[in-house]
Amino acid sequence: MTTALLAGLIALSLRTPASDAGAISILMEPDGTGAWKDLFVQFKQQYPEITVKWVEGPPATNTREDMYSTAFLAGQGGFDVVFSDVVWIPKFAAAGWLLDLSSRISPRDRDDFLPADIRGGTYAGRLYRIPAFTDAGLLYFRKDLVPSAPETFEQFVQLAREQRNKDRWGFVWQGKQYEGLVTVFLEVLWGYGGEWIDPDTRSVHLDEPQATDALRFLTESVGDISPPGVTTYTEEEARSIFQNGRSVFLRNWLYVWRLLDQGGAITPAQVGFAPMPHGAGGKSAAALGGYGFAISRFTDNPEDAWRLVEFLTRPESLVQLRDRMGVVPARRSQVPSEFLPILLGARPRPPIPEYAQASDILQRWLSAALTGRTSPEKALREAALETRLLLKAE
Amino acid sequence: MNLRKTLWILPSFLLVLSVLLYPAFRAVFLSVTHYGLSTDFETRFAGLDNFHRILSDSRLHDSFAVTALFVGLSVALEFLLGLGLALAASRSMRGQNVVRTLLLIPWTLPTAIVGVLWAWILNDQFGILNHVLAQTGLIESPVAWLAQPSTALASIIAADVWKTIPFVFLILLAGIQSIPRELYEAIEVDGGGAWAAFRYVTWPHLMPFAFIALIFRIIQAFAVFDLPYVLTGGGPGGATETVSLYAYQTTMRYLDFSYGSAIVITLVLVLALVALALRRLLKEPA
Repeated sequence: MTTALLAGLIALSLRTPASDAGAISILMEPDGTGAWKDLFVQFKQQYPEITVKWVEGPPATNTREDMYSTAFLAGQGGFDVVFSDVVWIPKFAAAGWLLDLSSRISPRDRDDFLPADIRGGTYAGRLYRIPAFTDAGLLYFRKDLVPSAPETFEQFVQLAREQRNKDRWGFVWQGKQYEGLVTVFLEVLWGYGGEWIDPDTRSVHLDEPQATDALRFLTESVGDISPPGVTTYTEEEARSIFQNGRSVFLRNWLYVWRLLDQGGAITPAQVGFAPMPHGAGGKSAAALGGYGFAISRFTDNPEDAWRLVEFLTRPESLVQLRDRMGVVPARRSQVPSEFLPILLGARPRPPIPEYAQASDILQRWLSAALTGRTSPEKALREAALETRLLLKAE
Repeated sequence: MNLRKTLWILPSFLLVLSVLLYPAFRAVFLSVTHYGLSTDFETRFAGLDNFHRILSDSRLHDSFAVTALFVGLSVALEFLLGLGLALAASRSMRGQNVVRTLLLIPWTLPTAIVGVLWAWILNDQFGILNHVLAQTGLIESPVAWLAQPSTALASIIAADVWKTIPFVFLILLAGIQSIPRELYEAIEVDGGGAWAAFRYVTWPHLMPFAFIALIFRIIQAFAVFDLPYVLTGGGPGGATETVSLYAYQTTMRYLDFSYGSAIVITLVLVLALVALALRRLLKEPA
């Protein structure tokens, strides 16, 4: 009796609900504006025979990454389409969880999408992610205080010091130990002409002089042109300080541009934007962010899944997202022209499968140096050592 | 006849096998292999490679230190406060059932919910804690409790103490109530005061209960995952990353199942040693 009951329970738990058969499932971000919902409704109108089961996930992107990983590890029955951050692709592709989309994308689309976004969705020469909207780090500055954006780090520090007073800091950025800190550091590092990890040779360059210059620039900012609390800031803390008129410069993503007229002590007319500064011999760089769509290898309906991806990334859909959510489409033809120079200089973070772990190593040591627990030189030496161990581990 | 007996235990044996023994053996097996993203999900024998890595992994050592500090402080606080409450509640008084029931509420909440609750209490902009402290003039500007290494760990300990005092309280109260009244009367006759009553009657009788309360709490606290996961995610600067959190990151984010298993097995071994030591300590004649 008990055995039968138990067997029954097990059988019941293994059974997938029949209603799911044939549906395309996807885990999305919270749909605050309702723009996604409308797109899915339009998809249903165009393809009445395809059922889409879309789930609003938690807002934290690494939590959604873990949810996708868990589903993939279980194999069949997970999500068919992946709403993917640009940094997930190497891991998911290396694990063999995604379908190769190289032959599905049309040559016209391939040219229209921004080159960095295509590169960010490519792993080992194959395209796994169709870009939807793009993002990049840039420098916001107070036009009314600083006539034009500084080009080099030297000019930048000088201007920030001149304009700083007892109510206003020079520069706010993302200094908390998390992925955002890595992107800030990379932009400074690339600006000095340095490199983190070469994805082709898997060599680590953190203990080279350019990296020391970059980290010194950040550590010396703390308490000088940046508030001591900057080491706990993420995007939103930094934005609110800048918009309350309490900083001359802000490093942030494109989304801030759409929010400048919402509250705060300054008006959009007082704000300009520019690429991040660079070192004497280097050139400005931006870390690439943004989202796109990929297809699970475990899907039963690759054709239907592709129809959905194609629909969501077509120009008409991206325009709707741009107008309603304020995101920047990853298509050259739809990027506001003032952002194009910054976006064309954007670079993906190193596309290696061990990215999450390499990023954690770097975050921990950057944070240690920024909070004064170790010197920049030692932090980078240790980070380089640990990263080399990680990358030659197999 | 024998066969029928065996059949009776079969269901529970199958259950234990599938949800306890199989995962445990699988973890031991994984820990001596390389299996994960770096091996394209193929199993390769690794001998003791993963355990060698444990010896030189500074992040793991840090997480053990964080976990030990968390266990030491939170279990000590829970035990002392729980004991105090149990002693106070053991005298009969009016409305004792209502009070005892109310005391149990935190224990009934799921830990993840407790985490979200405390995240709001501790929020630097909207949290009630900063509000109260500012109203009473104890602080001038809001404190970001979860942003500094020391206050972040203290916050997690506070949330854990709040949630688990009822557990200690309940076990110790049961212990106190099982002590025969006559023993207290005897102490009184011998001219002993309240301290003597506690020292020579309550405490010796409470020992086995204290052992149970402590061992359960220590095991649970060593494996703490949900509170730091919800409250801090292990930050800032890795200051609240516990061993379980690191094992989770290794397994679920880095997809290194072998090393993740090796970490968990090391944790279990350390726990076994702690339990043995505690047993000796509390079994020694006081």
